[in-house]
Amino acid sequence: MTANSVEIKNLDLSFGAVEVLKNLNLEIPEGEFLVLLGASGCGKSTLLNCIAGLLEVTGGQIWIKDRNVTWEEPSHRGIGMVFQSYALYPQMSVKGNLSFGLKNAKVPKVEIEERVARAAEILQIQPLLDRKPAALSGGQRQRVAIGRALVRDVDVFLFDEPLSNLDAKLRADLRVEIKRLHHKLKNTMIYVTHDQIEAMTLADRIAIMRAGKIQQLGSPDEIYNRPKTKYVAEFIGSPSMNFLNGDLTAEGFAMDGETVPMQGYKFANGAAPGPAWMGIRPEHVATGDQAQAMPYNADVTVELFEPMGADTLVWTTVAGQPFHFNLDGQHKVASGDQMKIGFDTSRSSLFDKSSEARL
Amino acid sequence: MAEIAESVVGAGATPDDRRARSERGFVTGIVSAALIWLAMQLGLNLLFELAGPTGAWVAFLLPWACLAFAVLSLAGMYSTRSGPVVVGSNRLRRNAYGWWLLAAFLLLMAILGESAEPIFDPLGKFGGIIVEFCSDHGLFWGVAAALVGAALVIAGTDTLQANRPGLVERVLVLNLTAKIAAIPMAVVAVAVFLGGTIWTVVYSFTNSKLLPRAQFVGLDQYERLWSTNRWIVSIENLMIYGICSLILSFIIGFTLAALMDQKIRFENTFRTIILYPFALSFIVTGLVWQWILNPDFGVQSIIRGLGWESFTFDPLNNADIVIFGILIAGLWQGTGLVMVLMLAGLRGIDQEIWKAARVDGIPAWKTYLFIVIPMMRPVFITTLVIIASGIVRLYDLVVAQTSGGPGISSEVPAKYVYDYMFQGQNLGQGFAASTMMLLAVAIVVIPWAYLEFGSKNRG
Amino acid sequence: MANPAVMSQTAAGFDAVSRQLEGPQGPKPRKRFSRANIFIYGTLIVVAFYYALPLYVMIVTSLKGMPEIRLGNIFSPPVEITFEPWVKAWSQACTGLNCDGLSRGFWNSVQITVPSVIISILIASVNGYALANWRFKGADTFFTILIFGAFIPYQVMLYPIVIILREIGLYGTLWGLVIVHTIFGMPILTLLFRNYFTSLPEELFKAARVDGARFWGIYFQIMLPMSLPIFVVAMIIQVTGIWNDFLFGVVYTKPDTYPMTVQLNNIVNSVQGVKEYNVNMAATILTGLVPLTIYFVSGKLFVRGIAAGAVKG
Repeated sequence: MTANSVEIKNLDLSFGAVEVLKNLNLEIPEGEFLVLLGASGCGKSTLLNCIAGLLEVTGGQIWIKDRNVTWEEPSHRGIGMVFQSYALYPQMSVKGNLSFGLKNAKVPKVEIEERVARAAEILQIQPLLDRKPAALSGGQRQRVAIGRALVRDVDVFLFDEPLSNLDAKLRADLRVEIKRLHHKLKNTMIYVTHDQIEAMTLADRIAIMRAGKIQQLGSPDEIYNRPKTKYVAEFIGSPSMNFLNGDLTAEGFAMDGETVPMQGYKFANGAAPGPAWMGIRPEHVATGDQAQAMPYNADVTVELFEPMGADTLVWTTVAGQPFHFNLDGQHKVASGDQMKIGFDTSRSSLFDKSSEARL
Repeated sequence: MAEIAESVVGAGATPDDRRARSERGFVTGIVSAALIWLAMQLGLNLLFELAGPTGAWVAFLLPWACLAFAVLSLAGMYSTRSGPVVVGSNRLRRNAYGWWLLAAFLLLMAILGESAEPIFDPLGKFGGIIVEFCSDHGLFWGVAAALVGAALVIAGTDTLQANRPGLVERVLVLNLTAKIAAIPMAVVAVAVFLGGTIWTVVYSFTNSKLLPRAQFVGLDQYERLWSTNRWIVSIENLMIYGICSLILSFIIGFTLAALMDQKIRFENTFRTIILYPFALSFIVTGLVWQWILNPDFGVQSIIRGLGWESFTFDPLNNADIVIFGILIAGLWQGTGLVMVLMLAGLRGIDQEIWKAARVDGIPAWKTYLFIVIPMMRPVFITTLVIIASGIVRLYDLVVAQTSGGPGISSEVPAKYVYDYMFQGQNLGQGFAASTMMLLAVAIVVIPWAYLEFGSKNRG
Repeated sequence: MANPAVMSQTAAGFDAVSRQLEGPQGPKPRKRFSRANIFIYGTLIVVAFYYALPLYVMIVTSLKGMPEIRLGNIFSPPVEITFEPWVKAWSQACTGLNCDGLSRGFWNSVQITVPSVIISILIASVNGYALANWRFKGADTFFTILIFGAFIPYQVMLYPIVIILREIGLYGTLWGLVIVHTIFGMPILTLLFRNYFTSLPEELFKAARVDGARFWGIYFQIMLPMSLPIFVVAMIIQVTGIWNDFLFGVVYTKPDTYPMTVQLNNIVNSVQGVKEYNVNMAATILTGLVPLTIYFVSGKLFVRGIAAGAVKG
């Protein structure tokens, strides 16, 4: 059994009467890249600040490397943090920014030089060492911010939406770079974002948070294919999942007078018949001849279409309910066209109407 | 001991609850001891002493009773401690040592008393103050500091610190540097602003003359105040000056700001000229206008020199209009500020408003009157509070320009206070008059604070 | 009742808004010589003349000899320029029995202003920083009292401070007055610094904490280097405010230690001897010179300062 790098036990945090985190538990094994994903206000950044020791928790404990650090100073926790606004000290040079933490820890001068040089090499910022942050580009600033955590030789890296101030192209480049860094350093990393692409591409595991609670914790694959709640299913995937309103019966999923057989669908423990949603990802919908072979198929009329280059998003109605799906980009369609579509019910997701939990 | 502690913290509750409760009891005890002590120094003891020797005893014992309550709570903390009390390895021992050192010093000084004077000689007068304070209050504060140290040691038995720190630790240990750094602010706020104000109000009910004397005479000073002609004149003057100054500085300030807001050239030059009087003191302002309004050389003589022999404009020597002479100087000094505040308010308004008004064909003056001014409500209110609290303090200008004359016709309340306190050797009158000023400001500020902030707090 | 956080926003609003004073805005552009334009510029020029007039009168009067003053009018420029009134005001003018001029008051004022400005700004900046970044329970209560203190008429606190100063043996001394100025400068300066430090990005503070800096480390190494402008604004507020003060000077000092304003008033309003208006005006200008210089040199920063410092009244 490998040791857990970070362990969060029954964490509570409230500001006055407002509960921000509720009895939160999380175990992160050594070397894992964990992404905290959620809409704004879900408590993901708050959780990260608690781990860093920048917020006083109301209850519960935080362990890092088998040490209870709940009431330790941020600098004594073995964490490094990268902020959304970079938070570089504007009056210090890049070198000064990198060495500030080491100076505070009273590291000998020679060693500071060494560590700064090594970090600069890893991040390829050697030519920038004497510049002030104001003279750096956004991407360079972000690298210096990472370097500040790197020089301190920390156990855990905390990233607080580090890429959201950058433009789309740079974001994609730095995303790859962070991933490369993780492969090289093999540190535990906790990464907060609201961008599902960042989450899917970077994470070993994703924790999807909502209203101060973790809705689902799992690998990107699990989260995409077997979302535990309707919220997770809605949140992950673009374009977002279709939800069809109906009833789960012994024969299958009944809607609008017909029943879709649920062959091959892996029901969760305790799944019971009753009102339910059936979720189908737009990219899992087949058309034409392929549709014919699917457990469910139907003839639909194209109502609207949005060409997006690589593919085309088609809006239509299935069983009297709005429905959309992806079509190969080269496929020419027009409003009013008739099409045959179908999908594999074993790849769909069923959610209970009232609890919104997976069935 | 344990039973007593039990009775304080209550039986039956969980250990954590009981511990939290006794920590709360301890902090409450110490804080209320300190507050009551301070109140006694500020004159609360006088009220008790009115009740005779028993009252004096109660006044003496009350802070000690609070400390006794803290001791009981301490026993409660001890009975619910989370580990053995070993000082040497205690998590909070350094803080506790600090408090015990302070306690030892205070107690030692209390015992030595006046005989410790020579040790502090090199400190000069401050040394004397330390000695005097310790011989009077060293015992009380020494005991309090020792108790605080003990409480920290008990709170620090939880060496692993698995749980949220208790109240004692949160109050006394967390953010300690920040708290120490804020001591000057706390002392000024509580001892000077709050304490000084309360002290003055309390002593306004005494018949203090040359020195403050704790002989209460009820509302005598206020009765005398309101039957003194000079005070009535002062109030009248302040009312006239205040109302005129408010209305005129708003009108002039807003008009100037509106003119400055018309995309004019040389805006900076105009602003520099109109605002410079604000950089000058009221003394300088008063003296300049005294000179300009001088009947023999100033405006009056110049206009007479132009041929209008009967022209009379001599406000500073005419008891009926002297306050307007002061008003002229006050407006000259202060309208620049109002203009700048108003201009800032105008610039803070969304420029789209002007475009919308133009599209709708609304003339500029109507836009100002019905759209812009209502939007500037917050700026108006804050400006009003600033000007109003300045008006109540009106003093230097009068001293420089007229010295309250001719006769008493340009007296103002602030001058009344100063004259009775520091010249007339009638402190009680000065205290009563200044309390009335405080009341006047409270009438302006409290509704404002309530309207501006009270409602937002609730929402 | 009143929440200082909200309360300070009003002042913070001023601070922010006074930065908007740059650049012309206003309702609509106009042609150069429209009737409205003539009206606007005409009014402003007349008003500017009115405001500038007293300064002009002060200067011309101070440059005339007494005979010329008695004959001429106060607005006419001096026929014969003389600097004698200035010399006399500086080194010979009498207050009571002393006839060593305003210079003594000037040096007293310097000795009062310099330490007062330094001490009050140091204390207030640390207070503001503690309030903005190291929030702890109870701090807001003290701060609320402090801000209300800015509105309490000084007259209410005059005598208790006399007692405090007497107790510590500083009544009547320059250092006593320094303490008084530090106390009364505290509300507005603390507010100013608190708002400024609150406006700095919080992540910088967090980053410094992760980097292991503590209270003083963050203050000196991170916050101070970023706060030069606000220190200048605070200095402007304090220098002009303390230099122009009269009430505290007259209450807490003795004739030997009177600041310049008090001495000026005593010189001009003394009932003894013949009135020398030219000397009086020279003395008045001399007293106003320090704040005027600061005003003309600092320009926009002064405007920011008064907008923020306006609460002081």
